[in-house]
Amino acid sequence: MKLWKTLTIAAIAAACCTGLYAFQRTADWGYQQETSNVKAEFAWSRLRFNSNMSSYGGYGGGYGRGGGNWSRDYPKADRQFLIALNRLTRVQGRPTEQVVNLDSDEIFNYPWVYAVMVHTWSFTDDQAKRLREYLLKGGFLMVDDFHGTQDWENFMVGMRQVFPDRPVEDLTDKDEIFHVLYDMDDRFQVPGEQYIRTGRTYEKDGYVAKWRGIRDDHGRIVVAICHNMHLGDAWEWADDPEYPEQFASMAFRVGLNYIVYGMTH
Amino acid sequence: MFEFFFKYPMTVFTKGKFVLLGAWPGWLLVAMILAVAGVLGRLIWLRLQKLEPIKDVTPRMQQQRALAIWALQAALVALVLLLLWQPAIVVAELKSQQNIIAVLVDDSRSMAIADSGADGKSQREAAALAALNNGVLAGLKKRFQTRVYRLDGELNRAEKADSLKPDATATHISAGLKQLASETGDLPVGAVVLLSDGAENTGGIDLDTISALRNRRLPVHTIGFGREQAIRDVELQDASLAPRAMADSRMRATVSLRQRGYAGNKATLTAKDGGKMLASKEVTLAADGLVQSETFFFNAGSAGVRRVTFNLAPLAGEENIANNALTRLVSVSGTRRRILYVEGEPRWEYKFIRRAAEDDKELQVVTMLRTTENKIYRQGIGDPAELSEGFPTKAEDLFVYDGIIIGSVEAGYFSPRQQEILREYVDQRGGGLLFLGGRFALADGGWGASSITELLPTFLPNTKDTFHREAALAQLTAAGADSPVMRLVDDPAKNIERWKTLPYMMDYQDAGNPKPGATVLAEMTTQSHAKMPLLVTQSYGRGRTAIMATSGSWRWQMSSAYGDTAHDLYWQQLLRWVVADSPGRVVASIPDARLMDDGRVKLTATVRDKAYVLAPDAKVVAHMIGPEGSSAMVDLTPVPSTPGTFSGEWTADKQGSYVAEVTAARGADELGRDVMTFERQDGVAENFHTQQNRDILEKLSSETGGRYWKTDELARLSNEISFSEAGISVRNTKELWNMPIVFLLLFGLMAGEWLIRRKWGMI
Repeated sequence: MKLWKTLTIAAIAAACCTGLYAFQRTADWGYQQETSNVKAEFAWSRLRFNSNMSSYGGYGGGYGRGGGNWSRDYPKADRQFLIALNRLTRVQGRPTEQVVNLDSDEIFNYPWVYAVMVHTWSFTDDQAKRLREYLLKGGFLMVDDFHGTQDWENFMVGMRQVFPDRPVEDLTDKDEIFHVLYDMDDRFQVPGEQYIRTGRTYEKDGYVAKWRGIRDDHGRIVVAICHNMHLGDAWEWADDPEYPEQFASMAFRVGLNYIVYGMTH
Repeated sequence: MFEFFFKYPMTVFTKGKFVLLGAWPGWLLVAMILAVAGVLGRLIWLRLQKLEPIKDVTPRMQQQRALAIWALQAALVALVLLLLWQPAIVVAELKSQQNIIAVLVDDSRSMAIADSGADGKSQREAAALAALNNGVLAGLKKRFQTRVYRLDGELNRAEKADSLKPDATATHISAGLKQLASETGDLPVGAVVLLSDGAENTGGIDLDTISALRNRRLPVHTIGFGREQAIRDVELQDASLAPRAMADSRMRATVSLRQRGYAGNKATLTAKDGGKMLASKEVTLAADGLVQSETFFFNAGSAGVRRVTFNLAPLAGEENIANNALTRLVSVSGTRRRILYVEGEPRWEYKFIRRAAEDDKELQVVTMLRTTENKIYRQGIGDPAELSEGFPTKAEDLFVYDGIIIGSVEAGYFSPRQQEILREYVDQRGGGLLFLGGRFALADGGWGASSITELLPTFLPNTKDTFHREAALAQLTAAGADSPVMRLVDDPAKNIERWKTLPYMMDYQDAGNPKPGATVLAEMTTQSHAKMPLLVTQSYGRGRTAIMATSGSWRWQMSSAYGDTAHDLYWQQLLRWVVADSPGRVVASIPDARLMDDGRVKLTATVRDKAYVLAPDAKVVAHMIGPEGSSAMVDLTPVPSTPGTFSGEWTADKQGSYVAEVTAARGADELGRDVMTFERQDGVAENFHTQQNRDILEKLSSETGGRYWKTDELARLSNEISFSEAGISVRNTKELWNMPIVFLLLFGLMAGEWLIRRKWGMI
């Protein structure tokens, strides 16, 4: 009886601890930063952020190193994209990516940053302030790989911490960001790798690709939002013969336009 | 005393011509003197050989004594011989009662200052009139007719000297004398007597006036009144301020001032636009009589005409507070200046320069960026056709820009023709050209081997790999600390400290050594503690060039606190430097934007066509707009000696500010237009330089053959004034043999020889 009681209390305690853990921020990213001695004008910067939805984490792309939600498709997507950047433009891109976070001012050395799975992001007040100042001083943020209504709501929770009042706009074909390098009037939804297995271009209830943005006081886009699409997967799986070329090409063109826009506006 | 020894006044000797009245030629006199001196020397030498040695006298001493005796004897003989040749002075002298002496009395306001007379408390005008009435006029009238004139802004006859009052608002001595020389051309004016404090409002006597007086050989005798130095006064001497500025630009004004009696005191110097305070600073007054300069920085404000008043708050006991303020006009242009920025690769510096310029309403940066090998992305273009063919190949297409920036672009990207028009852009068009650092820039971009290298303000290194992606810190040089381009905060000391707080730059490039004449405004220190130029500027032809040897200044924006304006302010000021002095196709000018008591103005305009080639066939018209809505059109005519230059004269009748809009056209095509401002100020110059300007009076006298007189010397004026070649004069011969000095010399030479012979026992 005494043993039964002890086991019951232990089980309840374990359940509580597990539940508590599930709602805690991911403190241990388990990530070792890629080191590179190559110096270049542009460094592909991936935003590492805390997440309070850890069940989404643990996917590290094909390179086998784990991380949080921020590291989806990392680093293969990043490096394949950098190959395209260096090959197709005059941007001098560093061959390897740079991971940045919002806990130090290091991010200010990298005025262009990419973030995925942003429906899981969570900021402290200091982090939100740093990101806000980063964007208003001239930084550029591209977000990708979140789908459907619920993801949007979750994304906006974090975004409202950064910009409580700035409206999110649907970008139109006329926006300069779609013409700065490639004319991209005919955009379409870019699916993730699941398209190979399912033939679906959408995930969750994100049936239609949303090209959105947040502007600064001068009308310049400072946050480019790629909702209901998965460009990172398209870069990552661009070398897979089963992944359709038109999706990969569209994804590269979007990324290149967004980088050139971020470096010119 | 002089006349006691020399019989005649000094003027006779200074103005007269020495002659020998004797019948024998002058060369014979010289020969005789030499011969006699030689014979005397030979005789003394022979005597010296036969002379027995004298006790205690060495042979050398004996020779020196013989030489002294020879010198005295030779001088005596030479003097006697000279008298035999009948020396005399021929001097021109005015004929009595046949000449007019013009007496000019300054009756301007400065003559009301009470610092003259024996007690030093009489009005200058009263002292002048007293001098006239106490003998000068009476003395002159004994031998000449006299005409009294009132001299102020102009010259007028005065019926009675006593009626003069020192209330005129201007003193134009130069113009008055010129008028006198002109108006009395048919009158036998023998000399001019000028009673004045020398406070000429225009600053000096012009060469035309001196020439007019010299042509008539008319001597001007000046009599000075007033203290030559104030006891307690501060005077603003000048204010240097660019007459044109771009809207919202940082302006620099240098005010020079001089004081007496307040050394070490503190005073407040302000700059105001109407009632609006532009800048203020407390100054410590320098030593007495020393000119000190104080520099202001302030914002030019919006487009329009600024009337900036510099004022020094009056100090306790100051004698003259009307000279504590100066005004200057500034024409602030609201015309947007266009800069063409050519960039060879997408990079952060490009983005952040563009963002800085976007916040400046007066600048428009038109960019062409090579995004890929075959694509050029254009921003800021006026129409779709602009730069659609790439970098311009025609001068008229390139010359529409006020400034050019060359980023990370190889020299080889530009064709030889494009490089040539770039050179012409700076040299002939007068544009500003800024080179940025980068991996394809400067030496790494092959610019050192290009034809453009002569434009650069540095000697680029002969190596490549001069661009380094390593951190570097910027710091001001002494020249940079003084430059408005580098001014992040107004206070000079705080500005230097402000620069030290800027974050490091992401990269740097070795731009080489500055050329002679170039100015290094900022340097940078690398991580290995190497120092090299960061921002170097120089003038080239009609334009200017600069190198900013980094592409990493964007970090000043990203790594500074949010809201920090240093990066944007720096680039806005540097870009404004690039374009601010780029002239338009029509450049109008006047000699001085301040017309002091005189409304005559000479307008000059240089006109060029779209390729900035001088356009002598243009039609040029100036539209003058003055106070109370007055306006006039003035045709400017070509200046024959300088093609493309046009000039015209006009008179601003009323006091106040004027705007002149000069328009040039060739047929129906307008070539361009320029606007300038000027102001007529009446009675203001009279408040300045109120001490007696003895220099100008002395110079006027000596240049015309007259003399500067002090009031205690005036008794001799009426006699000495007659030695003049003007008017009706005769040449009188003054014999010199009977001058007391001659007899004294004869006696002295003989007595001297006797005395030394006696002393040396040689009698």
